[in-house]
Amino acid sequence: MVPHAKSGFWRGLAPYLLSSILLISAYMHVGAVKVAASSLAVIGIPIHFVASLPSMTLAAMQGRLITTDQLRRQFEFLREQNLILRARLQRFEFLENENNRLRELLQATPQAVEKVTLAQLVAVNPDLGSLTVLVNKGSADDVYIGQPVIDAGGIVGQVTKSSLFTSKISLITEESQAVPVQVVRSGVRAILYGGGKNRTLRVMYLDRNVDIQPDDVLVSSGLGEIYPPGYPVAVVTAVERNVAESFMNIEAKPMSHLGRDREVLLLWPTQLKSSDHGSDAIVEEKSE
Amino acid sequence: MIQVDSAPRRPWIPFLTLFAALILLVLPMQELPGGFVPDWVSLVLIYWALAFPVRMGVPIAWVTGLIVDIITLGIPGAHAFTKSVIVYITGSLALRIRAFPIWQQSVVVFLLLSLELASLVIISGLTGEAITGMHRWTAVVVGALVWPLIYHVLRRSRHSSNLRGS
Repeated sequence: MVPHAKSGFWRGLAPYLLSSILLISAYMHVGAVKVAASSLAVIGIPIHFVASLPSMTLAAMQGRLITTDQLRRQFEFLREQNLILRARLQRFEFLENENNRLRELLQATPQAVEKVTLAQLVAVNPDLGSLTVLVNKGSADDVYIGQPVIDAGGIVGQVTKSSLFTSKISLITEESQAVPVQVVRSGVRAILYGGGKNRTLRVMYLDRNVDIQPDDVLVSSGLGEIYPPGYPVAVVTAVERNVAESFMNIEAKPMSHLGRDREVLLLWPTQLKSSDHGSDAIVEEKSE
Repeated sequence: MIQVDSAPRRPWIPFLTLFAALILLVLPMQELPGGFVPDWVSLVLIYWALAFPVRMGVPIAWVTGLIVDIITLGIPGAHAFTKSVIVYITGSLALRIRAFPIWQQSVVVFLLLSLELASLVIISGLTGEAITGMHRWTAVVVGALVWPLIYHVLRRSRHSSNLRGS
């Protein structure tokens, strides 16, 4: 018996292919379908919830299994850390005040981050070939496309898609991503491109005699209107000057943990909060 | 043709395994590089299409694919399309593939997963969504390599559930 004898290609497969194609084209061309798809994503909540259970129980167990001694040591460590950070913060506040005053003198608008929200990862690399993570905050929490995301180390990436309760973050290492950066030491501006593979970034189109060297820290320059200025992005790992070429080959490695932490921070910069940024708003003309 | 010796004890086993595969799909595995994680959902769908070509056919693959698209915020319809295709092919050739030794089945699985990845690349390219890197091809190889494991685990679950027939 041939299982598909009674339902061949035309009845067994073609209708499904046709409806998929209709769905895909509707998704691309009709805005309402995008909205519907983003609200439909709520059916993923139980799945994401169950998927987060192992790490949640692990975290809970770690809390239970810890001894008083370890707790005390951890507490001591955190208290010290807190003191150091508070001391630094005082200095930072002083600098911020000074900076704002200088900006007022120059009549420039102060730049600040208006709001920060903690989001938890619910999936890593969920789809084909892209370096993305899903987090548990969505358009219901005012997440917008093009929103900058950081973690304890530095810039992680930007939001490229959001549904009601989840959103997708494209990491800066993704090939389609670019971050306008500035070298802290020399003030040189450059564009940092994602390398595609895990944890490699490239600085492209920098002239041979520009001042950049290994271990230079790159911070966001705020020029692409996506990322607010001043956040650490990457450390230069290798600079290769080739006399035959007019540009240098520069490799860098990201300072953020790129989805290795369970939590990331979503930023709402004051100046950039309009929600009309496209996902690929950083389009740089590549002058080869 | 359904030949039931005794009533199936747990007829929901295939759906439970599909649900488990969906969970594995979104499980945050920070330490593992993403390129090495095979598409569990496709592997499970292929197994059930081999076991029950009629009951676990294209409609179920289509709905599962749509769920994958929705929960990963992908293009709705993309996985529905590719999974329908591979399950249709598997179902049509089920009797032949079932007679293969396990390593030949792995080769078939490799071809099916490659076909799925190729169509996904084409669909993403046509819709203009970013596709980057070819590292997902390693996931196809890993998928073919873990097929014997999937096969044995799911066969045990099928026997324990007493599901027979097509």
